[in-house]
Amino acid sequence: MRRYLMLAAVAGMLGAGTASGHHSFAAIFDGERPLKLSGKVADVEWTNPHIHFSIDVEGDDGAVTRWRFEGYPPNMLVRQGWQRDVTLKPGDAITVEGWHARTEPNLGAARRVTLADGRTLAAGPPAGTGGR
Amino acid sequence: MTRWQTARRPLAALSFAAVLASPQVLRAQAIAANDEVPRTADGKPDLSGVWIATGAVLLFEGEEAYAAARAADEAAGRALPPNEPPPYKPEAEARRQEHLARQGIDDPMARCLLTGVPRIQFRPLPFEIVQLPDRTIILYEIHHAFRIIPTDGRPHPPDMEPTYLGESIGRWEGDTFVVDVRGFNDKTWLQGVGTVHSEALRVTERYTRDSFDTIVYEATMEDPVVFTKPWTLREIFRLRPDERIREYECIESNEDLVRFEELLQSGDEAFRAR
Repeated sequence: MRRYLMLAAVAGMLGAGTASGHHSFAAIFDGERPLKLSGKVADVEWTNPHIHFSIDVEGDDGAVTRWRFEGYPPNMLVRQGWQRDVTLKPGDAITVEGWHARTEPNLGAARRVTLADGRTLAAGPPAGTGGR
Repeated sequence: MTRWQTARRPLAALSFAAVLASPQVLRAQAIAANDEVPRTADGKPDLSGVWIATGAVLLFEGEEAYAAARAADEAAGRALPPNEPPPYKPEAEARRQEHLARQGIDDPMARCLLTGVPRIQFRPLPFEIVQLPDRTIILYEIHHAFRIIPTDGRPHPPDMEPTYLGESIGRWEGDTFVVDVRGFNDKTWLQGVGTVHSEALRVTERYTRDSFDTIVYEATMEDPVVFTKPWTLREIFRLRPDERIREYECIESNEDLVRFEELLQSGDEAFRAR
């Protein structure tokens, strides 16, 4: 029941039309293609209107692929406890959950990040459909 | 916050209001029942403070906080009816559907243009209201935008040219702050993808601080060029006394501009709804 209420609340929010962030999510990212990747942080761009960060993901064959992610702007991250140069640092082992970009390979929208110490922080907005 | 005053209203007004169930009366009743609504020296509810749309609570504070906020509204009798889709004439609805099919790639906001009224009130970034005797000022984190809303009885300026945020004039109707906004350009979306409008747009906003922590917000949009009837949207703003307006720079790393250009050049299939 609790879960149902939560979903209903989220659906209500979408109906109210409070869009995800600065742009229309759906033009760039595909809310139907979720991803979850673990790797080591390669770089962090603490910029507006979105931060970007990259992680190096090692495949089963040992090959390393660099994935780049987009997230909230700094002002929204700071409100949730993020600190520049502290929360995400090059070399940190993290797991990113989010969605694939529609066309650009190895680009994703980050929804949440699980840090090496086990904390999970929101990193970006929920997926949009373009209908908001 | 210490300058805020409190005021008690006669209980008689409360019981009378209970008989009449119009939204305005219910809001007045809520104010009467809550002696924590701060007031300015002239007796008006003081809207001053940092506020944020309840929809943003989901982004900032998570699903549980959002559900709790909506449940609190339900319990307090301020739950909002579902918002209706825009009552567009066929031509405007066709434009909206085209924007939806294009997945919002034409969003003016994504190009860092000023977000218009009322969309700017729904953004997931806080805004600060500064209520002064002769004007009320709204400072927005998004775009670092501001609106100066005269309340000294002056009319709209005679030299209005179309703008993104229009020209606002405020007045009080009882305990509700009413803002009449005109003089818009047609370059913004009202609220949601493809919610186009014309320069004939006129927005009437109603801000009612019905408790210490909440403002009930209602925006009625009139535009005879695109609508068959007025369109009304509602939201609850929540006080964030420990928050401040932070910096928001839109264009620094706005990669959307490059991505949009690439997508548009690569053909419709790249971004159209499947």
